[in-house]
Amino acid sequence: MELVGENRIQTLFSEQRLADEQTLPSFVAVWNRAQTKTYRPQRAFNLAFAGAAAVLVCALAAAALWSRQWQPDRRALVSVPSSTTAGPEQIVAATKDPEPKRWEQPRSSSKSRALRLAARRQALLLAANRKAAHEVKALASWQSPTATLLDSPSDELLKSLPQLSRAVDELKSFLPSSPK
Amino acid sequence: MDIAELKAELETLHSASFGWAMSCCRRDRAEAEEVLQTVYLKIFEGKAQFRGEASLKTWLFAVIRKTAIGEHRKNLLRKLRWSDPSEEASKQVSAADEPGQAFEKSETQALFQNALKALPRRQREALHLVFYQDLSLREAADVMGISIGSARQHYERGKKHLRKSLGPTEVAYGIGWRKQNPDAV
Repeated sequence: MELVGENRIQTLFSEQRLADEQTLPSFVAVWNRAQTKTYRPQRAFNLAFAGAAAVLVCALAAAALWSRQWQPDRRALVSVPSSTTAGPEQIVAATKDPEPKRWEQPRSSSKSRALRLAARRQALLLAANRKAAHEVKALASWQSPTATLLDSPSDELLKSLPQLSRAVDELKSFLPSSPK
Repeated sequence: MDIAELKAELETLHSASFGWAMSCCRRDRAEAEEVLQTVYLKIFEGKAQFRGEASLKTWLFAVIRKTAIGEHRKNLLRKLRWSDPSEEASKQVSAADEPGQAFEKSETQALFQNALKALPRRQREALHLVFYQDLSLREAADVMGISIGSARQHYERGKKHLRKSLGPTEVAYGIGWRKQNPDAV
């Protein structure tokens, strides 16, 4: 069985209508008040709009600051010359940091954190560069263990260039002396 | 339709308009009066014009609904700002003195009002337009600015929710039992 049917709802609404009619303000009074009332522009809307704009600007500024703090420090990047074009001396010179940078005192915790991260990143990069320089040096001074087997007593003759003028003089000494 | 004719028509619809404004303002009498004033002002200034596309009642109710929604938004924004406590207190006192308050305090009506307030706005509007204003679902849909199918859905769901909210309470207060046993009391 339906406890609250349409009839019940209808009755409740009818009671409400009767109550409203008892408190009904007179039409003339409302009409006259409306005529005397000046229509105000929607100030609340403007305030809301201004508030929303302010919040948006603050959010954008915060996002810009945040992204700036998290941007990697470009100064910490050291370019390593390629091994094909540069010699070991150049690489060593490039990796040698003239003097370690002293980081500025952090103004805030977030800034100091960013600086610490950048410093750590630079230290890692420098260590990697030093390791690469050592490897290049080792490669440059490397000698094959069987290189001595290639040495022979005639290396001097084979590897040196013949001196033409001397050879001619030596040949002349073997020639019979011409009759004068 | 000139302003004198329109005024006469508005006068005949004044009672229904006030009831609808009360419903749109969640039974806040002062706000309903304010809304009605604003609506009359809009009509007087020609900002709301009746073009005869629907019946005058439907058009007027649509204007009242739109104005009430706008006023409600503005009031919400006003509440967000600092308000004068003395003004709030005087408002509360004047509201308590209203003659309608005694009626609102009656048990069944209070329960009914609470159940109505708990309903979603569109469901409440559909029920009010059909049961209070005796409009058809087509007219209710025109007032609410939705299709008749949607209006029917809101109406049916609203009825269902209202039954659910009022049903157990009536049983708790013995109303259901009294209905079943009218001779017992």
